[in-house]
Amino acid sequence: MNAPAVHISGLHKSYEDTKALCGVDLTIKDGQFYGLLGPNGAGKTTTIHILTGLVLKNEGITEIYGKDIVKDFRFTRSQIGIAHQELPIDWFFPLEKLLYFHAGYYGITQKKAKPRVEELLERLGLKDKRTSRLRQLSGGMKRRYQLAKALVHDPKILILDEPTAGIDVELRHELWDYLRELHQNGKTILLTTHYIEEAELLCEKVGIINKGKIIKEGSPADLTRELGKAGINVHITGWNDELKNAFSDYSFTLEDNRLHFTVRDPEEVMASIIQILSNHGCQIHSVSTEKSSLEDVFLNLTGKGIN
Amino acid sequence: MTGTNWVGLYTLTKREVGRFFSVYRQTVLPGFISSGLYILIFGFTLEQRIGEIDGVPYTLFILPGLIMMNTLTNASSNASSSMLQMKLLQQLPDILTAPLSSLELSLAYIIGGTVRGMVNGILVLLLGVLLIDMPVHHPLATLGFIFLVSWAFSSMGLLLGQLADSWDQLAMMQNFFLTPLSFLGGIFYSIKMLPDWAQQLSLVNPIYYMINGIRYTVLGVYDSSPLNSFLMALFMTILFTTAAILLMKSGKKIKQ
Repeated sequence: MNAPAVHISGLHKSYEDTKALCGVDLTIKDGQFYGLLGPNGAGKTTTIHILTGLVLKNEGITEIYGKDIVKDFRFTRSQIGIAHQELPIDWFFPLEKLLYFHAGYYGITQKKAKPRVEELLERLGLKDKRTSRLRQLSGGMKRRYQLAKALVHDPKILILDEPTAGIDVELRHELWDYLRELHQNGKTILLTTHYIEEAELLCEKVGIINKGKIIKEGSPADLTRELGKAGINVHITGWNDELKNAFSDYSFTLEDNRLHFTVRDPEEVMASIIQILSNHGCQIHSVSTEKSSLEDVFLNLTGKGIN
Repeated sequence: MTGTNWVGLYTLTKREVGRFFSVYRQTVLPGFISSGLYILIFGFTLEQRIGEIDGVPYTLFILPGLIMMNTLTNASSNASSSMLQMKLLQQLPDILTAPLSSLELSLAYIIGGTVRGMVNGILVLLLGVLLIDMPVHHPLATLGFIFLVSWAFSSMGLLLGQLADSWDQLAMMQNFFLTPLSFLGGIFYSIKMLPDWAQQLSLVNPIYYMINGIRYTVLGVYDSSPLNSFLMALFMTILFTTAAILLMKSGKKIKQ
């Protein structure tokens, strides 16, 4: 398929007096791992819910592999598997049965779904819980069930709304490994998360959404390079005024024999700085670098924390 | 996937039917037991005093009404409670994000409620046949009428389930409308026994027509034309089915 996996353009959505989305533009290539980051109420879940048919849009283009999500809903919804943020509750059926039901909603008979269900139960460590009701499962197991449910019809696009919220570190790492594996096997993944570290580790591209609009997009590395602050700290003795001229092109401060250079890429200029200092007879005691994280970039752009 | 998602429709219907069967102590047995109690109480005590209505012993006379009351209350409460439960327990997104059309979603819920209405109605019918040798004058028409009424009230239940935001609202519909209208629809009496004004008032109660219709198919007796009962059931079926499907299609109350 040549069309992008997800294409959103000029997407608007209002709830009575509140504008939830004010012209979201977003394109996710086939096979890409995309992270949508934003503070609470920024429009992440609304965007996802519009894509999956849970929320009705006011205006804008929303396409999955070039097909409109309303006109061609059977095609577009078949391409998507979604793991919702809210953990499900079901009093009536065992976990395995629920997975078969879910496959059935996507037109897959129980017979055809069986190998896939077995594979997912095994891979996600739910085999022993196949006859359990959801209320009997721990939070982590419910999250794994959510993922199994999203994958049971083998969708091309996986949408994960806060997939690791409220689970322990070990399981989070296990899920990250599994998501990497799915991505390597060709799945397009759209992830929203409260853990910026998660986006930084997993996503090829992230979009930062604030007040219903994508305000910045790029790879985590590019965003931190472009928008983050980085620096080099050098502890020296032997500072002299000639060095002021030598470092006239640099932005730096000096306090208690500690030099701090604000640079874009520390690795790129560190050698030159050390050479200038050495050439001017300074004694270098220690050198360290610092780099902004994606979280710093996020805070700078949105002015608030992700939670 | 193009055309109708038959597997999806079948699966959701199976889920709806499986849901009420898995809690049959709440959904099937109560109506069966309470109808059995009505037969015992009226059969052993009141029948001696009340005698016959339209030439039919009193216990037999009330049975078609009990069949209908069980049918329509179960049909409506299945679809309404299932829809509201899915909304409140965050299960609805699972089916709304699936490639199922509004028509397929509606049909699955309606068929689920129809099956429950029919199961409950037929169980009371069997109870009458086995316990008091109730004759069934028009067996096929009886089953057809139970089916039609089940469908009508299941559609109504789906409509109410979509509109409701809380259990309180659903209980209000059940307690303040369905049950009183069922009792006032002539389960325990013939409307000919009522004064004129009350007879006229009964004619605006749609449930009266359901009871009158089933009484005709089972016992062969009726207060007013059975054709009118059939037409009313058909009208309600078309009205509520259309309204439930259109509301589902609009997404109001289930999508934001």
